[in-house]
Amino acid sequence: MMLLVMLLLIGCGDQRVLEKLGFTQTTSYDLDPNTEESSDDEKQGQQKLLISVTIPRTRTENSRELITATAYTSKEAKIKLSSQTELTIVSGQLRNTLFGLSLAKQGIWEHIDTLVRDSSISPRVKVTIVNGSAHELLSKDYSQHNRTGKYLDRMLEKEAISQTVPEITLYRFTRDFLDDGIDAVAPIIKQLDEHVSIDGIALFQGDRYVTKVEPDDTLIFAFLRGRFKNGEMSVDMSEVGRINEHIMFSSMISKRKIKIKTTSEGQHYHADISINVRGSVLEYTGKLSLDNVEHQKQIEKLIAEYIKLKTEEMVAMMQKNNVDSIGLGKYVRNKLSYEEWKNLDWRRIYPNIEVTCNVNVRIKDFGKFVNIEQ
Amino acid sequence: MTDSNHIIAPSLQHTLDNFKDCIDLTHRTFPEINVHLVYFDHLINSDELYRYITPLTEAREYEIQNLLIRSQYQLALDSDTVIKGILYGKIAIFHKDDTYLVDAYKPEARSIDASQTETVITGPHDSFTEPALSNLSLIRSKIKSSHLKVIKLEVGEISKTDLYILYIDGLANMDYVKELVERIELIEVDAVHDGNMLIQYIDDFPNSIFPLFSTSERPDTAISKLVAGKIIGILDGSPSVFTAPSSFFEFFASPDDYYQRWILGTATRLLRFAALVITLTFTALYVSVTTFHYEMIPEALLLTLTESRSRVPFPPIYEALLMELTIELLREAGARLPTKIGQTIGIVGGIVIGQAAVQAGLTSNVLIIAVASSAIASFVIPSYVMSASIRLVRFGLIILAGTLGDLGIAMGIAYIVIHLCGLTSLNTSYITPVAPSYFNDWRDVFIRAPLWAMRDRPSQSNTPNKVKMKQKK
Amino acid sequence: MREKLHPFHIAILIYMTQSGVVIFSLPRVLAQHMGYNGWIALTVFYVIVALNISLISLAYRLADGKSIFQIIEHFFPKIAVIPLYIFLLTLWMMIGCISAKRYIIIYQIFVFPTTHPMLIKILVDTLAFLLIIKGIYNISKAATVFFWLVIWTILLLLFFLHDFQWINLTSFYFHESSDIVTGSFRIFTAFLGYELILLLFPYAEKRKGVMKAVHIGNLLTFLTYILVCLVCYGFYSFDQLKRMKFPMLDLLAYIEFPFVERIENLIFSLYLFTSLIGIVMYCWSALEAAQRILPKANVKWLAAIIMAVAYVVSWVPTVLVEVDAWLQYLGQIEIGVAFGLPLMLLLFLLLQKRRDEPYIDYNEPS
Repeated sequence: MMLLVMLLLIGCGDQRVLEKLGFTQTTSYDLDPNTEESSDDEKQGQQKLLISVTIPRTRTENSRELITATAYTSKEAKIKLSSQTELTIVSGQLRNTLFGLSLAKQGIWEHIDTLVRDSSISPRVKVTIVNGSAHELLSKDYSQHNRTGKYLDRMLEKEAISQTVPEITLYRFTRDFLDDGIDAVAPIIKQLDEHVSIDGIALFQGDRYVTKVEPDDTLIFAFLRGRFKNGEMSVDMSEVGRINEHIMFSSMISKRKIKIKTTSEGQHYHADISINVRGSVLEYTGKLSLDNVEHQKQIEKLIAEYIKLKTEEMVAMMQKNNVDSIGLGKYVRNKLSYEEWKNLDWRRIYPNIEVTCNVNVRIKDFGKFVNIEQ
Repeated sequence: MTDSNHIIAPSLQHTLDNFKDCIDLTHRTFPEINVHLVYFDHLINSDELYRYITPLTEAREYEIQNLLIRSQYQLALDSDTVIKGILYGKIAIFHKDDTYLVDAYKPEARSIDASQTETVITGPHDSFTEPALSNLSLIRSKIKSSHLKVIKLEVGEISKTDLYILYIDGLANMDYVKELVERIELIEVDAVHDGNMLIQYIDDFPNSIFPLFSTSERPDTAISKLVAGKIIGILDGSPSVFTAPSSFFEFFASPDDYYQRWILGTATRLLRFAALVITLTFTALYVSVTTFHYEMIPEALLLTLTESRSRVPFPPIYEALLMELTIELLREAGARLPTKIGQTIGIVGGIVIGQAAVQAGLTSNVLIIAVASSAIASFVIPSYVMSASIRLVRFGLIILAGTLGDLGIAMGIAYIVIHLCGLTSLNTSYITPVAPSYFNDWRDVFIRAPLWAMRDRPSQSNTPNKVKMKQKK
Repeated sequence: MREKLHPFHIAILIYMTQSGVVIFSLPRVLAQHMGYNGWIALTVFYVIVALNISLISLAYRLADGKSIFQIIEHFFPKIAVIPLYIFLLTLWMMIGCISAKRYIIIYQIFVFPTTHPMLIKILVDTLAFLLIIKGIYNISKAATVFFWLVIWTILLLLFFLHDFQWINLTSFYFHESSDIVTGSFRIFTAFLGYELILLLFPYAEKRKGVMKAVHIGNLLTFLTYILVCLVCYGFYSFDQLKRMKFPMLDLLAYIEFPFVERIENLIFSLYLFTSLIGIVMYCWSALEAAQRILPKANVKWLAAIIMAVAYVVSWVPTVLVEVDAWLQYLGQIEIGVAFGLPLMLLLFLLLQKRRDEPYIDYNEPS
């Protein structure tokens, strides 16, 4: 009996009854534009943050609630946000975090750290960079789409399946950020008039945004980053010497292997990236015939050449910006002893290592229709 | 069994020896004509008996020999035939050195209906009725062995109700038989009305919520327990026959499992255990998730749940208890009313109250689904008594879930397990074969293995003769 | 008829006593103290434990079914050994109650952050009490059921095949390890629980398999630990792992099913079962010692008193750090006991053998 009474006492204070909660679905972090230039804050060494959260609702007109607060820390902001709504704000259903570009350039680890610490936040929360103001992107209602948070979430998931952007969750971002052999990346999106579009892949050095991969090249990045399934790529053959020829390479399955060779001087490394792609070609405009076996071989070679060109170009770009987004460091690390690796200034070495990409392309099929040659 | 090559001449003494301890055997003597009759009263028709016996009793002794030459009296030449004949409902007539058999088979029975509480789709549909002798004959007619022993006891100081304890000699563990008889002899009560009531007097833990001896109304179930080396008890005036010892998992088996192909039988068994889990935890999980663990809800369901919860004025735990109570009321009302009205109540209650409760904003529709499915799952459990126990336990879990969330559910389950571990049925562990673990038995507990794979009798009956099937594959 | 423990149940009992919530933080502890590829170090601990068990099995063979108390009392008058009993009693009781507290405090990280932990603890303790008074045979039965209720969670590790990368394991071995000595003690405490087999001597079936069962139980613990740790090392980057308080919780939080996600607190709730058996086994051992001191006392009351005292003691440490520190001290003493007690027994038994006197048991329990 006594136990029963005790039971009823327990937990009452810690209940989180569903309908009394406001689930933040997406959170956006920006530097507050109003204080960005203000000198007061500069003195404190900290800038104000503009934090907005969306809470999906069923009964309000917009089917979501957006609240915004400015504060120095995200936890402070949470208190301010909470005072604007009748619901208890909880973050257990958080799905996506958006970081404005200006903030991303300053570093986002501080905020990621807060998110990772909070036991109610899932390690599957997505990390996304917004080219522009995250707050503006989030506060806008896109009339042709779902409620904004869900719209973004679904879009990123879909794009991740088709390999346009990697799916970057808190777990993956933290893993790569804290690994000394790889640099973190994140998808970057931007706001267009009536919708949002993928704007490439943001490359980080540490927790600071450095540069990005252009949206057209995201698949090339995927080749370098690891294995994947189910990609689609349009190859512009003019880059490999055939003007005005295009090819659609789809249903790709790609595998990547990295081999590191050390040259005799010790401090000199050579990375061999071999990429193995299989896929099918259904569309081709050009002079070669899809149904001629020799031409098929030629097309394979051309695609391989194209990919090799593009990947090497991209690695060079990353080396120029000194971001090791594909994790060459990890492979170098495995070649070395612990002391050698710790004495190695990877950031300094990285831009100068030689990288070659070897691409092998196999085309599984050319569709189910054959043109008979006259 | 006697060796078939070795023929023993039939004799009265040998026959009686063979049926030693079978209290239901009738032995009548007519000294003036030197005739002994041996038969099972409940297997024969008394009209037939008189038709055959009257001429004998009215005749003088020297005429008997001539009467017995008539064709209906068959001369039996070996003892086995006689014993078999008796078991098949024949009357054995011992006259001097000769033995005759006469067929009078017609077991006494009022019309035997299909069982109402334990129905099967395939397999025999007969069920026990109230008179113990008729039940006994149902069993005797299906186990034609003189090894089936019957002990007659009386329970009830005033009612003096007959109780028959049946076991198969050589299969049942005699320690358990003795223990059971002792316990029954210790009962001092005015009257016992039903098998389910009786077992409460003799089980090991009268205060436990779980039934410790399984009861059944089906002869095929009873027989399967007998040949498994268990003991069954038939109480006069009750169609429920109890089995001892029983395990918790026995309550989840239905004879249907054996009449279907083994894969289907296995699937059904697994379904029942899934039903156990669902009925115990489904509503409790709903309460726990909506009260404490909102983060467990997938995004797609979140808004549906919030929407349906947002109109309900009570905390989830009260909401759930209210609905569970309603379901229990409906069930109880349905059980007390005649079948036809009971169905109406079910429909009215299920549809009208459920629908109205949602519309009135008293409960959320997701909860209705949870409550309904856990109620249905509880009816999947074949034993009515066990299903009732489980349903009551569920209320405890719901309250715990409402106060401590998932931890509460875990604590509740831990308590149930601790309780179950302490239970014994006729001094054997109630949760055999899980603990103590007999993996051989798992083939007939969690799955229903192919018949050829189940070669041993269950360990719980501690039988001296473990192997039930010798045939290889 | 008093039932004896079958080797299979002993194996499970040992496994359930050994493993507990420590598995949730073990990968991090390994990363902190053993450095890169620290999961391999578990093998060393496993071997040490196995050696210790072999030591115990030597004692078991010589003891021939006698309880350790009988052996000790054969050499000393009872008064002389009471301090030793009190020491053991206190130690085991404390380990039991503090590990219960630890479970609850960890649970409070995600749910019930403001509820008083002692309110929850009284419920856990009640459960433990109910199980203790049912005796060791029923404890082992419960352990078996709990085992089946928990062990399937290992299968969830399959979920991480996709994100597991061998490259994350790196090619460094035990670099960046720190405080290896303290760390070793911390990791070793994760294996504790096997030493309670000393008390099970008189309860075990007199078969050869008993000690093998302890080894199997220990092996099972080791395999679970190493699997979880390996997955953590391959799933997280090293620095990340070092910073995570409870890597396995995060691991579980990562799992997503179409109908349910974030199952970490559900699974953690299930680990109540393993911690419960741990608590119960230590408190039961304490009870055994107490019964030796006061052989005439009512067992239920004795158990109630032990649980009550344990409850009061566990008020003292309030935050996780304190609880961890306490458990650490207690664990270190327990390691001493785990090695010391069988050594002592062996010494006694050998002495006894040398004297070759007929063994008379003056304290046959009634």
